[in-house]
Amino acid sequence: MNDAGVLVVGYGNPLRGDDGIGWHAASLLASDPRLAGARVLARHQLVPELAVDVSRASLVVLIDAAANGEPGSISVRRVQPGQPVLAALSHHLDPPALAGLAEALYGAVPPIVLVSVAAGSLAEGDRLSAALEVALPAVAQVVAKVVTGRQRQLS
Amino acid sequence: MAREIVIEPVTRIEGHAKITIQLDDDGQVADARFHVTQFRGFERICQGRPVHELPSLMARICGICPVSHLIASAKACDEILATEPPPTAVALRRIMNLAQVVQSHALSFFHLSSPDLLFGFDAEAGGRHLFRVLGANPQLARDGVGLRRFGQQVIESLGGKRIHPAWVVPGGVDAPLQAETRDQILAALPEARSATDRALAWYKASAQRFAEEAARFGDFPSAFMGLVGPDGAVEHYDGALRVVGADGATLAERPDPRPYWEYLGEAVEPWSYLKSAYWKDLGYPEGIYRVGPLARLNVADTMGSPRADEELEAFRARLGRTPGSSFHYHHARLIEILGCLERLEGLLRDPDICSPRVRSTAGVNREEGIGVAEAPRGTLLHHYRVDRDGIVQWANLVIATGHNNLAMNKSVAQVARHYVKADRLTEPMLNRVEAVIRCYDPCLSCSTHAIGQMPLHLQLVASDGTVLDERRR
Repeated sequence: MNDAGVLVVGYGNPLRGDDGIGWHAASLLASDPRLAGARVLARHQLVPELAVDVSRASLVVLIDAAANGEPGSISVRRVQPGQPVLAALSHHLDPPALAGLAEALYGAVPPIVLVSVAAGSLAEGDRLSAALEVALPAVAQVVAKVVTGRQRQLS
Repeated sequence: MAREIVIEPVTRIEGHAKITIQLDDDGQVADARFHVTQFRGFERICQGRPVHELPSLMARICGICPVSHLIASAKACDEILATEPPPTAVALRRIMNLAQVVQSHALSFFHLSSPDLLFGFDAEAGGRHLFRVLGANPQLARDGVGLRRFGQQVIESLGGKRIHPAWVVPGGVDAPLQAETRDQILAALPEARSATDRALAWYKASAQRFAEEAARFGDFPSAFMGLVGPDGAVEHYDGALRVVGADGATLAERPDPRPYWEYLGEAVEPWSYLKSAYWKDLGYPEGIYRVGPLARLNVADTMGSPRADEELEAFRARLGRTPGSSFHYHHARLIEILGCLERLEGLLRDPDICSPRVRSTAGVNREEGIGVAEAPRGTLLHHYRVDRDGIVQWANLVIATGHNNLAMNKSVAQVARHYVKADRLTEPMLNRVEAVIRCYDPCLSCSTHAIGQMPLHLQLVASDGTVLDERRR
């Protein structure tokens, strides 16, 4: 129903501590003036129907927790369209499979950037660990930089 | 020597389960059991919680059909509060439940079952998934993704989020529908209708290929149960509970389905956490009946909307008034999606649908409440007792998969009898045991289909415990 220029998707389980970093970041970014006009979503998983939204976007930024690394450390990488892992085909996809599905279904896939934040704790609870609480503004900063950088390229 | 085939674990499902197939002394299948081995305990968890929390709490039962639990729970709470939700609130609850049926059926048909239907039940298991559907029939894959997205977006636009929205509350709904949201949904409806029409045309053209499966996949006489409206049309939110026999004759019609203990029994077996519901008049286990999309079509006189009624007429012309094979759940799902989309449009075009009056408020006025609604997979009953302060003392839930439990066991046995040969475990048997469970789309099977198989561990065990045959995949 909505077409978006920039699409930001924070995903994970908000009831499993730092796995909810995508939700916390999405909440912060939804009102961030640097992302004005962007569509910001929070999702439990990357599901197949997101392929429609991905195909219509000019840039997609995904925000997820990573199981490895120094808690709070942030990495940024470009996602290339790929094939799905067979075990993840019905309800959810990994980022390359989502990109691949968008490309295969709709013939279009924009640049997709994955912002990963190393988790400190994945225990049950809706709060971030201290390390990720500290890292949260930096996560927003990284996403904003990716988005504004892309917008400068296009302008 | 009696022997037993064990399929364990039946994983990547909404819960944990296994299947055992018992052989008699002659090596013939004597019986089959679908064991649900996960305990969740929602009926106990909710004890001690205030009644106003129940809809949101109970919606957590399921990530696929939370809206149906939300609605059945809210209806039970309405009774405890002795409130009558405003008409617009009822219409909005209906819209959300219809959207839920659309998205859930789309997941079942397109994402999970269409690979079997497109490539056949003996196709290489690892190649039966949505990506391969995309290669073979891209429009079918696009329509599946689009329909599920449509249903999810309606739920999100009403309730604020796709999964576990807390918008349905005791007494009504939490916020009115905005005209802009209504218009967005209406604008998306024509494409959803077109996608359903294309899928129906494809299914009907393909159905003849599966005559053998249709004759083996739970093809037995049983009763069917579902809600019907005052005009006898398929109903998802309210109405009378109708039970028909295998010949379509009405066995019972309960204008008020709430006192379910008068007509339903719930048997507990030591080998499963899933209760087996049965029709009391027929006793246990003879009181087998089915619920869900095929049952709703079989109990109703009409779909209650023009295009869906055309499809129902064609369905009955091809298969008879009361098709008995569970294979036809697939076709029934598509017809029901069409009917839900038509009803959605009718409700959204009601001039009062954006009325701001969407909630009645009250305190605790009764100490017991029962909510009945139709979930995508079948009839759902929530029954609560609270104290004078509204604190939950007791709860009982009768869910669709419980209603279908006896039928699923019988269906697995039927498939096994045809495909299990002596003491050998064969691929056709494994494929079809998975597929017959898939017909019912129990929450237990949500994620088993897309890769074309369940991760299985099968053992053929002699009565003395000796493993005669074993296979994993």
